[in-house]
Amino acid sequence: MSMLFANGSDRPQLKLSKKLLLLNWPFLFLITAITAVGVAALYSVAGGSLEPWASRHVVRFCLGLALIYVVVLVDIRWWMRAAYPFYLGVLVLLALVPLIGVENGGAQRWLGFGEYSFQPSEIMKIALVLALARYYQWLPPEKVWRPDAMLPPLVMVGLPTVLALAQPDLGTAALFGIVGCGIMFLAGVSWVYFIGAVVGIIAVLPHLWERLHDYQKDRVLTLIDPQRDPLGSGYHILQSKIAIGSGGLTGKGFMQGTQAQLNFLPEKHTDFIFTMFAEEMGFIGAVALLALYLLTLMFIIYMALRCRSTFARLVAAGMGLCLFTYVFINVAMVTGLVPVVGVPLPLVSYGGTSMLTMMVGLGFVLNAQVNRQARIRREEFGLLW
Amino acid sequence: MKERDPSLKLRRRFSRRALLVGAGQAGLFGLLAWRLRQLQIMESSEYRLLSDENRVNRQLTAPLRGAIYDRFGVAVAEDKENLRVIVIPAYCKNLAATLTAISGIVPVSAADRDRIMRAVRRQSRYLPILVTEGLSWRQFALLNVLAPQFPGVRTDRASYRHYSHGSSTAHVVGYVGMAGKGEVDEDPVMRIPGFRIGKTGIEKGFDRELRGRAGSISYEVDAHGRIMRELGSNASEPGKDVVLALDHELQALALDRLASQRRGSLVALDCTTGDVLVMVSTPSFDPNEIAFKGDAGKWKALVTSPDEPLNNRAAAGLYPPGSTFKVVNALAGLTAGVITPDERITCRGGYFFGNHFFHCWRTHGPISLHDAIKSSCDVYFYETAHRLGIDRLAVTGRALGLGHAYENELAGQKRGVMPDTAWKRATLGAPWYAGETISCGIGQGYVLATPLELAVVSARIASGKAIEPRFVRPQGSSARPPLAPLPIDPVHLQLVRDGMSAVVNEKGGTATRSVLSIPGMPGVLMAGKTGTAQAFGHGVAHHFTGWEAQPHALFIAFAPVDAPRYAVACVVEHGGYGAHAAAPIVHDVMTELLLRDPLAKPAFAASNQAEAPSAFADAGVQR
Repeated sequence: MSMLFANGSDRPQLKLSKKLLLLNWPFLFLITAITAVGVAALYSVAGGSLEPWASRHVVRFCLGLALIYVVVLVDIRWWMRAAYPFYLGVLVLLALVPLIGVENGGAQRWLGFGEYSFQPSEIMKIALVLALARYYQWLPPEKVWRPDAMLPPLVMVGLPTVLALAQPDLGTAALFGIVGCGIMFLAGVSWVYFIGAVVGIIAVLPHLWERLHDYQKDRVLTLIDPQRDPLGSGYHILQSKIAIGSGGLTGKGFMQGTQAQLNFLPEKHTDFIFTMFAEEMGFIGAVALLALYLLTLMFIIYMALRCRSTFARLVAAGMGLCLFTYVFINVAMVTGLVPVVGVPLPLVSYGGTSMLTMMVGLGFVLNAQVNRQARIRREEFGLLW
Repeated sequence: MKERDPSLKLRRRFSRRALLVGAGQAGLFGLLAWRLRQLQIMESSEYRLLSDENRVNRQLTAPLRGAIYDRFGVAVAEDKENLRVIVIPAYCKNLAATLTAISGIVPVSAADRDRIMRAVRRQSRYLPILVTEGLSWRQFALLNVLAPQFPGVRTDRASYRHYSHGSSTAHVVGYVGMAGKGEVDEDPVMRIPGFRIGKTGIEKGFDRELRGRAGSISYEVDAHGRIMRELGSNASEPGKDVVLALDHELQALALDRLASQRRGSLVALDCTTGDVLVMVSTPSFDPNEIAFKGDAGKWKALVTSPDEPLNNRAAAGLYPPGSTFKVVNALAGLTAGVITPDERITCRGGYFFGNHFFHCWRTHGPISLHDAIKSSCDVYFYETAHRLGIDRLAVTGRALGLGHAYENELAGQKRGVMPDTAWKRATLGAPWYAGETISCGIGQGYVLATPLELAVVSARIASGKAIEPRFVRPQGSSARPPLAPLPIDPVHLQLVRDGMSAVVNEKGGTATRSVLSIPGMPGVLMAGKTGTAQAFGHGVAHHFTGWEAQPHALFIAFAPVDAPRYAVACVVEHGGYGAHAAAPIVHDVMTELLLRDPLAKPAFAASNQAEAPSAFADAGVQR
C-alpha cells in the first residue's frame, strides 16, 4: 500500500480527500454531459425506452466513474512502473485473438471469458499511451532527437498496429498509428522523421492496398463514390448521409428521426449513433455535441501543459489524442469523409469495453492533473519495472 | 543556463507542439462542422426528399372499371367483388402450418403453395402474398370469424371483370387482360400489379373512359417494408359507364340461331340511326374464362382453333359480297344513267368479254332491272358494270358505305375493299384491266366487304341516309347531328328497294322461301338480296374439297319494306347458297326483331355514362 500511494514529490503526501479536491470537477461535468447525450440518444434509438441500451449505458458510466477514481487514487509512479508489464500483457492478449478469439461480423476482435467478452485492442490503446510515455520519461532529453532512440517506440506502436490490421480492424490500426505518432511528436522527435514517414507511407500505400480485404477495399471505393452500389456497401454511407442531411438545421425532433426509427440506419446504437443524433437534433445539436468534445480536448491539452513530468504530460496528451481520433474518425465516417471502419463515438455509442477504456483513459488524464507537480526521478526505475 | 537545460527545452517544445496539436484538432473539428453544414444546410432539402422516399410507400389503388350496359340497362360487363385471402408471412408463426390450416376452409392447391413458398424467399416477409381469390361469401365470412386463429392471414376485397352474358356479347364487348408490352401507356394505373385493360371490342375502344383514375394510399414503412401507419389517401375515381346500342336478348337469340352453322356472323342495324342492335359471330367464346383466373390451356385452345373463335367475323371478316353487291351496281348504273328501269338486257346464260366467258347461273333471256335483282341475273350486272367502268361503280359503292373506315368505338374492325383504278395502282402497282370490272359487277374479284359493311349498305338503301354504325348510345343531351341524305336519287333507291322486295316477296325471287309471315303482323314484309360468293378467286388453283369448297352464303335485308326500321346482313362461311343458308337465319332474326321491336322501347341512360366522342380517330380500324 505504501508503495501504491507513496508520494515521492517534494510536496507533502496528499491525503485522499485532498486528491478528490484536486480532481478537475468541470472536466468531470463535461464528460457527464457528453454521456448524457449518449443516454438520451440510446433512449430514442430504443423507441423511447431505457431498455435495452440507455439504462445499461448509465450503469457502465457509473462503473467508469468508479474506475476513474481508482486510476486517480493510485500514484502516478506506480502506473509508470506498471506501464511496460501492462503493455506486454495486453500485447500477448492481442496476439491471442486470432487464435482463440470470437468471430463477430467478419472480424475477430473479441476474447471471451465465460459470459463476458472484451476487445484487447481497446485496452491496448491505454497500454500504448502509458508505455510510450514511460519510454520518453526514461529517455534522457538530449537523446530524443537521435535516430536509434526512435526504434523502441516504433516497435511499440508497430506491433499492435500490425496485429490490429491482421484481425482485420482498420479503424483501430489507424488509431494506434495516429496516437503513437502523436505522442512521439509531442515528445519532441524531430520534424524530419514525420515528413519522412509521410513520404514513406505514400510509397507503401499501394502494397498496403493489396493487403486489404475485399470488404475493406469496397469500403474505400464506395467512399469515393457512394452511389457505386447503393444497396451493397454504399448503403450504410448513403443512408447515414440521408439521415444527417434530412435533419437540416434544427433536426426532426427527439425520437422523430425517421431514418433511425424506421431502421434505415445500420448499427444505429453503436457506430452510427452520431447520425441518429444529427438527424433528430439537426446541425445545431450536432455542432453542440462536437463543441462539447472540443472543449474536453482543449481542457486535456491545458491540463497536459501544466504537468511537470514528461510522463504525466504525455499520458494526458496521449489520452486526449485517443479521444480526438475516436471522435474524428467516427464523425468523419458517418458523414462520408472516411471509409466505414467501425469506430465508436466515445461515451455516446453503446458498448461496454469502449465505455470503460475511455473512462480509464480519462482517469489517467485526471491522474496526471492531480499529480501535475510530481517529480519523477529517472534513477528510480529499471528497464522494465 | 536554464536555456541550456535539455529537459526544459523539451518541455517548451512540448508546449509548442501541444498547442499545435490542439490547433490541429480544432481545425479538424472545423472540417467536421463544415461537412455537417454541407449535408444539413446546403444539401438538406435533397436529403429530406431521399428520406421521404425511403419511408413513404405510395400504393396505387385500382379504380372500379366502368360497367358496360346493353341498350335496356342490362350489365353485360361489370366489375364484381373478388374476395381474396392474403398472407403476410412475417406475422405467421409457421407459414406452412397456417396454409394447411386455412386449406380446411379454402382449398390451397399444391401449385399455390409452391408459389407462396417461393415468393416468401424472394421478397420481404412483410409484403402480402395472395393465397387464393374468388372466394365464396361463406368462405370469406368463415375466414374473418376465424381470423384470430390464423395470425398473418388477411382477407381483402378486390374486383374482377364479369361478363354476365358471356359468349353472346363476347365479340362486341371484348374482354380485359393484363397489358402487354406495347400496350403500357403513361397512365399511373398501369403500375398497379395485375391491372387489366381492354384487349378487344368496346373494352378496348372505350378503354380510357372505362378505366377510371387510380387512387393512392401513402404508408410509412420501415426498412423492411413493414407498414407502420397510413399517412393519407386519395380515393380512386371509377371509370365511366358505357351504354351499348346492343339488345342482349336478341344477341343471344341470333347467336343461338347462327350456331347451326360452323362459321358465320350476323349484324342487325337500326335503319334510322345506325344503332348496332345485334352483332354476333360464331363460333364464340366465354370472355370470363380469359379475363379472370385465366386458364392457359383454354386460352391456347381458343388461339389455335382453326375456326378462330376470338375473331369477330362480323367486323373483321372480309368476304367477297357476291350477288348482294348487285344492288350497289344497280344504283351506280341508274345514277350514271347507263341503265334505265325499262331497258331489258338479254341473258344467254353467260357473257363474253374478250376471250373470257363469264357465266350466269341460268339463262334469263331479256330481263329488266327489277327482274334482274329479283332473280339475281349475272349477265345484266356484267353489262352494267362494263358500261359503268370500275371508277363510277366505286363512287356509288363508297357512297353506300363500302370500303371506308367507320368512326366508332369498336376495336378490331377491318375495312373492306371497294376497288378502283387508283386503288389497284396504289396497292398492286398495276393498271386496271376492263375484264376485272366484269367480275366486280357481281361482287367478286377484288371487292371485299365485312358483314357490318353489308348491313350498312342495306340500311343506307332502306333509309336513303348516310347511316354510320354506332355501338354506343349517345348520352342524353349530346344527340348527334341529323344524318345526311345519300347522294343518290330517291327514285333510283325506290327502284332498287322494289327489286329487293321482289327477291323475297315475288314469285321467281331467289329468297321467296324466307318470306315473313309474322302472326298478328300481316303485311309486314322484308326486302333482301341473296349472295353466293365463290370463296376463292378465278384462276387460283385451290384443291379444297367438301365443306371448304362450298361458296360463302350471304343475305342482306331490311324490314318492314314500306317503312324500314331494321337492316340485317348475314354471312355463313362455306354455307352454300345464300338463299339456303343465310336467308333463313335472317328471316328468323328479322321476325324476332319485328316482334320484340327494341326501337319502340325506351332505352337506358346511365348516370355515370361516358360521352361518345364524335371523332374516335379510327380507334379500332385496322387498315
